Amino acid sequence: MLRAIFKITIREWKRIFSLPEHYLVMLVLPPLLCFLYAYIYNGQFVKDQPVAIWDEAHSPLSRKFTFMLQETESINITQQVNNEAALEKMIQDGTVAAAIHFPARMDDHIKSRQPVYITVYTNTASVVTAKLIYKDAAKVLLTAGSGVILQKLVKTGMPTGKAMALVQPIKLSTYFLYNPRYSYQQYLVPGLIAVALQMMMIMVTVLVLNMEVKKGTIGALNILANGSASNILIGKTLAHLSIAWINYIMVTFILFPLMAAGQIGGSWGLFVIFTLLMLACISVGMTVSAIVDDVMVACDLGLFYTSPAFVFSGYTFPRWGIPWYDQYYAWIMPSTPFLDAFFKVYFMQLPLSYVYKEMGQLLLFVIITFPLAILFLQRKLNKLRLQHV
Amino acid sequence: MFDSFRHIIRLFLREAKMVAHDHSLLLTLLIAPLLYAFFYGSLYSYKVEEKVKLAVADDDKSELSRAFLQQLNKMQIADVVGAVNLSDAQEKMYRGDCQGYLYIPDGVQKKVLALQQGDIVLAVNAARFLPSSELAGAVTKLAMTVGAGVRLKYNEMQGLNTAMAMQETQPVNLDYRPLYNTRSSYGAFLLPGLLALILQQTMLLGLAGSVALDKQRRHIPELVRTGGGSLSTALWGKGLFYMILFFCYACFFMTVNYATLDIPFRGRVFDVAVAFILFFFTLIPLGVWLGSLFNSQLLAAQLLAFSTYPIFLVSGYAWPYESLPVPMQWLSSMVPTTPFLHIYQSIVQSGATLQQNVPSMLHLLALWAFYVLLALLSLRRLNKQQQALSL
Repeated sequence: MLRAIFKITIREWKRIFSLPEHYLVMLVLPPLLCFLYAYIYNGQFVKDQPVAIWDEAHSPLSRKFTFMLQETESINITQQVNNEAALEKMIQDGTVAAAIHFPARMDDHIKSRQPVYITVYTNTASVVTAKLIYKDAAKVLLTAGSGVILQKLVKTGMPTGKAMALVQPIKLSTYFLYNPRYSYQQYLVPGLIAVALQMMMIMVTVLVLNMEVKKGTIGALNILANGSASNILIGKTLAHLSIAWINYIMVTFILFPLMAAGQIGGSWGLFVIFTLLMLACISVGMTVSAIVDDVMVACDLGLFYTSPAFVFSGYTFPRWGIPWYDQYYAWIMPSTPFLDAFFKVYFMQLPLSYVYKEMGQLLLFVIITFPLAILFLQRKLNKLRLQHV
Repeated sequence: MFDSFRHIIRLFLREAKMVAHDHSLLLTLLIAPLLYAFFYGSLYSYKVEEKVKLAVADDDKSELSRAFLQQLNKMQIADVVGAVNLSDAQEKMYRGDCQGYLYIPDGVQKKVLALQQGDIVLAVNAARFLPSSELAGAVTKLAMTVGAGVRLKYNEMQGLNTAMAMQETQPVNLDYRPLYNTRSSYGAFLLPGLLALILQQTMLLGLAGSVALDKQRRHIPELVRTGGGSLSTALWGKGLFYMILFFCYACFFMTVNYATLDIPFRGRVFDVAVAFILFFFTLIPLGVWLGSLFNSQLLAAQLLAFSTYPIFLVSGYAWPYESLPVPMQWLSSMVPTTPFLHIYQSIVQSGATLQQNVPSMLHLLALWAFYVLLALLSLRRLNKQQQALSL
């Protein structure tokens, strides 16, 4: 049995290196796609977005606020406007991403105890840019506002420490753990890569058995496996898993450390959950391949099944915010438990004891689909033997 | 002229027949767009995330801390989960039961009443972008509101009447006006782009798959012959089927999907229709050229399946074009999605007109000319190759 499995593994490696449907997806695409994803987010942050200023105050304070806004990471003041219509037109045609308005007689109003409203307009049709600009603008304007309160209190003769306490009675210290600067590269790239590797594995393994039938090599494979479907599946699984490990090495030894601030080689925990993910993908893919004879239909099924994986996994938009039926759909994809475990093991660097639930879910894919693949393939092999006889 | 028209009709019928007889093309062109539109559409149907779990360890157990937590729990974004102490709160985050924790140490109220700063700590799991940033924003806002409340009380105690005390509490205020997506919701931002992307990708997959199938079966000379020997007629005759089909899908998405998903449409129907037609006219030669690069339909489907995310990510929709590295900006400029999404987003979401998008329209036209040239050259090459082989 072991000898048969070994022979099938060697045979499968040869197929992976010779069939374009295998080597292009398993060996050529991973480095290309992974580096592309990492390079897209090489800038890490959204910087210097064009912003307009509508300054009706023309005062020292408005100029000071403008200077402080210009100093932020996301804001680059590129336009001056004189009215709201011009401002909205600029936002509408994309000349600027946001605008800030200082009202007339702003300084006088502050001195005369009249509340002043500084308006921040953003084009929230582009929500990422809008939120970042708002965050920076709010930080500046609220700090400036606090400064005004502080000055007023100090002028009444209050000691600075006490005045400071009154400006900010509750001091909130916020810690952004695991990705403190909200780097898009650090956050998005590992997730995109994990989902891409899942998709690649499934897109290839949906073809591993039906392609043998199509190319007429199933007979030879049957002989090599001594008529045992499990020998074939284990042999092929080992070959594909070893290629997945090569991709793991490429990603964790080169890409993550170089472009996503990850540690070299990942970790033992990451390797374990990645291996479980790949085993789940191989099992699911081979089950489809054992059931569906038409390679094109199998490929389409693989495509429809895997392409929504990233958005359904809850990586970007939380799963608790999606309808219940979509949540069920998310659970039939191995990437969902994997990415949950990935957050804990990769970002939070927690031990495997924190991800036993997710590991169990990944194993469930193997436990359910692998026997199914054996069953369907064995039936095919038996039929083949009968035909041969 | 009449002859060309007749050839185009023949090619249209040929394509319809080919699609009807091929399971994969049928799946990609007739089922996938509707299925994807439903799935992706429903995914963001709630549009905003709500009730992000936040563990709270309250060691102060004061009136102030209880009021603070009560207000926090009332916020749409937060769902307070009780924790026994700080380490229990941390453990809850590690287990994935919450997205962060808030710690209120003992003595906060006492400090605030003594006009000293009371420190509280918020830690959020920033590895998860959206929930953590929303939570941090909400808690910061609440802390500032509570601070303003304390100042208001102080000003009143100084003898100011309520109105004056109120004015003195917050002399500089921020008035935030998010335009075109007033709730700043992720769903409202992403859905229009996703629907357009579904149309693009299914069209490219189907058309490239069909050309690859023609190539695989050595039917390119027959395709050109059906077009009366004209490469251009062959290109547009084959493309007409996709043009009509996807224009119908676009109409369906812009009416039915927009209505059911409650996506606002602020522009003019004529403008968005022109943008879609121009976009499809650019995608058709791109799809034909891409299909001509693959030796089999299977390979075309397999490899083009991986183009969806990269195209979307470089298009400037989710990540600003200016923030892409320069070589990525070049790549982005070569993809029709980039100018199209710019036009489409500004018309649909901001209510802009075609006149306000002239540079992007010209960009799309330039790409149309470029891909027409590539498609014609590849058809000519394949025609020659396969004719030579058949001889």
